[in-house]
Amino acid sequence: MGKEDLVANNPLQALGLEKEDGNNGRRVGLVMARAGLGKTAILVQIAMDSLLRDNNVLHVAIGEGVDKTRTWYDDILTLMNEERKVDNFRQVVDEVMKKRMIMTFKENSFSPATLEERMEDLSQQGIFKADCLVIDGFDFTGADSASALGELKAFMEKNDLKMIWFSAVSHRDDDRVSANGVPAPCHELDEVFDTVLLISPEENDLRLKTLKCTEACSVDAGKSLVLDPATMLIKKV
Amino acid sequence: MSVDLSNVRNIGISAHIDSGKTTLTERILFYTDRIHAIHDVRGKDGVGAKMDSMELERERGITIQSAATYCNWKGIDINIIDTPGHVDFTVEVERALRVLDGAVLILCSVGGVQSQSITVNRQMDRYNVPRISFINKCDRTGANPERVTEQLQDKLGLNAHMLQLPIGLESDLEGVVDLVTMKALYFDGENGEIIREEEIPAELQDAADEKREELLDAVSMFSDDLMEAMLEETEITTDMVKDAVRAGTLALEFSPVFIGSAYKNKAVQPLLDAVQYYLPCPTDVENLGLDLEKDEEEFPVSNDSNDPLIMLAFKLEDGRYGQLTYVRTYQGTLNKGDTVYNTRTGKKVKVGRLVRMHSDEMEEIDSCGAGDIVALFGVDCASGDTFTDGKITCSMSSMHIPEPVISLAVIPSDNKAQVNMSKALNRFTKEDPTFKTFVDHETGETIISGMGELHLEVYIERMKREYGAEVEVGAPQVAYRETITQRADFNYTHKKQTGGSGQFGRVAGYMEPLEEGEYEFEDKIVGGAIPREFISSCDKGFQKSLKKGTLCGSPVTGVRCVINDGAFHAVDSSDVAFQLAAVGAFKEGYMKAKPTIMEPIMKVAVEGPSEFQGAVMGSINQRRGMIIGTTEEGNYTVVEAEVPLSEMFGYSTTLRSLTQGKAEFTMEFASFKPVPKSVSEELVKKYQDEKKEK
Repeated sequence: MGKEDLVANNPLQALGLEKEDGNNGRRVGLVMARAGLGKTAILVQIAMDSLLRDNNVLHVAIGEGVDKTRTWYDDILTLMNEERKVDNFRQVVDEVMKKRMIMTFKENSFSPATLEERMEDLSQQGIFKADCLVIDGFDFTGADSASALGELKAFMEKNDLKMIWFSAVSHRDDDRVSANGVPAPCHELDEVFDTVLLISPEENDLRLKTLKCTEACSVDAGKSLVLDPATMLIKKV
Repeated sequence: MSVDLSNVRNIGISAHIDSGKTTLTERILFYTDRIHAIHDVRGKDGVGAKMDSMELERERGITIQSAATYCNWKGIDINIIDTPGHVDFTVEVERALRVLDGAVLILCSVGGVQSQSITVNRQMDRYNVPRISFINKCDRTGANPERVTEQLQDKLGLNAHMLQLPIGLESDLEGVVDLVTMKALYFDGENGEIIREEEIPAELQDAADEKREELLDAVSMFSDDLMEAMLEETEITTDMVKDAVRAGTLALEFSPVFIGSAYKNKAVQPLLDAVQYYLPCPTDVENLGLDLEKDEEEFPVSNDSNDPLIMLAFKLEDGRYGQLTYVRTYQGTLNKGDTVYNTRTGKKVKVGRLVRMHSDEMEEIDSCGAGDIVALFGVDCASGDTFTDGKITCSMSSMHIPEPVISLAVIPSDNKAQVNMSKALNRFTKEDPTFKTFVDHETGETIISGMGELHLEVYIERMKREYGAEVEVGAPQVAYRETITQRADFNYTHKKQTGGSGQFGRVAGYMEPLEEGEYEFEDKIVGGAIPREFISSCDKGFQKSLKKGTLCGSPVTGVRCVINDGAFHAVDSSDVAFQLAAVGAFKEGYMKAKPTIMEPIMKVAVEGPSEFQGAVMGSINQRRGMIIGTTEEGNYTVVEAEVPLSEMFGYSTTLRSLTQGKAEFTMEFASFKPVPKSVSEELVKKYQDEKKEK
């Protein structure tokens, strides 16, 4: 299976992510789950889909190290290869890695302004210009989270980013939800996101529910993709 | 010999270069009565520190080769391996960590957690080594042990807490407050050998109370007794705290921090107490052996001196006393005169002499038991070999040895130098598995290869000093490799008829890229197209071809050669004829298999103030580097990248000027990757030009 086949056979196609690229505008996405259910695995698969379609992806990990984040990508790529037998796997890995950069911050040292400064630095020197941004570990409980999201959205427009994806932790004991079913702490930020995915354990399965999606998405709101609980790879609609 | 293993500690001392670990070891030896005078690393008395036994180490003030030593502190036998600080020598650090049960991580109170501390810490994690930290040089201007402790937490992710508070800092450093016993300790006498215990100075009492509370909170989860005493507000005994700290340390979930100044003889003895209290004895850690009779199934070694012997040779030295082999005994007892088996070679060896090493001096002993680290005389083996008494067939897990990435030519100045150089190289290659040497048959030059510029530089210096071998050296060369990228068929006939018996052999088959491994050969001949006796000749011919690729003359790796057809002549076919046929076949297939040149890629970490992040990334980008990521912690940033080794020569100078000397970098080998087309063309052209000149 070649790189193009990997993209074509990716179950994430159902979300219509590629249809947004450079066409219908930009997408702000959110992956939610309770702690430990695999938000990073989903974000990395979304990032990987974008990388395989030749986009540059900046992965911002807040409160995690570079090595740990990198391992996620290595693991997901290895699993994809085991499952789908990629031709010239090493070459694909090398190509993908050149298009990805990881930036990690301590929880208290991340701000949209710092991120913007760092990204401009990279872009001005011709080192790296991101097409997509993945932010893992953003604090949605902070008092200024709404304004920070606003700044990031403005930044997205200014820098012509195709997508920004976030992850957020929901809590079992907090039952507040938005009209679309987006749980706290993002229930009041519902409007900011075009797509909201929720990882939810059901019987023996892990499901990736689409709480909110764009028109490009062929999965109806409320329906779900299935995750392989052993590998966390998205399986099928 | 110690029978009670609870009284044995095998520890390593690891740190960033120039953190003072050799000075600390010197003080430890002094306080444990192993030496009777203190000599400084760069001392005016010209003696140098005890552990820096190589002349070069004493001159440069850095430790190059780890020396093992032994001392006894309050009835506890402590085996210490002093390990080098520079990243080029990390194989020494890794070897030491492999056989040690615990370690002391030394940090400079001003420099804090530096790049090499991160590397060393990662290595300790790899081998699950419990560690305590010692923040040294608290007498220096700018000393800030609290900040360093925070860095241990933030940068190394350790649950690190100070067990002491300094009494004064910088030039006012007087002693320490012990937060476990809640006493002030001062170090009197010419060499700080007299410990004076006093009440905590009034001005430090509040700070001490507060820090003790923090410490108790941090360690209470490791002891039910302590937790209970805290909840019920009953008396908290010193032993309760010590037991909790020990439990947390052994579980690798807590890392106690001690402070002092080895140079000023302050607070070294409490560190020795900490080694005794908090670091594991051999029975506290689980070491796994591989059962060779059960397909290398892992099993825990017993640590029992009465069980069959298992010991691991972790270091070889060919010093003035002859060949010395450092071994760690994992179980069983070894007596002088015993015969042991090398499980790799199957050879029996008689142990004539058994010694305990004390840097470059030694002490004859009659036997050693489980958990001991000793040296054997006259035992021929390689580093990493396992010895048993023959009752058990096992191997201790192999050590991680990186491939050399840099090489240079050494040319002896005269015949005498030639002889001495051979002796030196013979010794160095036996001692150090990352140092390799070979003769380039085309140029006749001797090539040495290793893990970095400094690594090779040190061996050249040692050749000159220890062996009197005057040598000229060529420019450092990157160790390129060649490989193929697609399958290709070959069908080659070697025919030679020049009167008398001729040579004839035809070899046909294909070659293809090998995902893992250097080379594979497969015989798929049916019907005797090539007679059995010439199959190995084909293999030999292919292997000869691998030594030098045709693109840039570098070794060829990652190739699988399969033969499936051929022809022979009843009279003219011979071993040589089929070897030559295979060489021809390889050449024919190789060019069709789209060969490519691979270069060593280094994992580089540059650490410095965030304001220079852009400049650092720019400098990496200019060097064909691929930035993997950045880690921002306050005002400090670490940029991690993969950069071709060939682009890293002279980087330290560039970095210094870019960052006003405020950033530093470490690098280690990551992988081999294909070179870009432009570089490949340049290398091929250079090789062709060189060939024409010859």
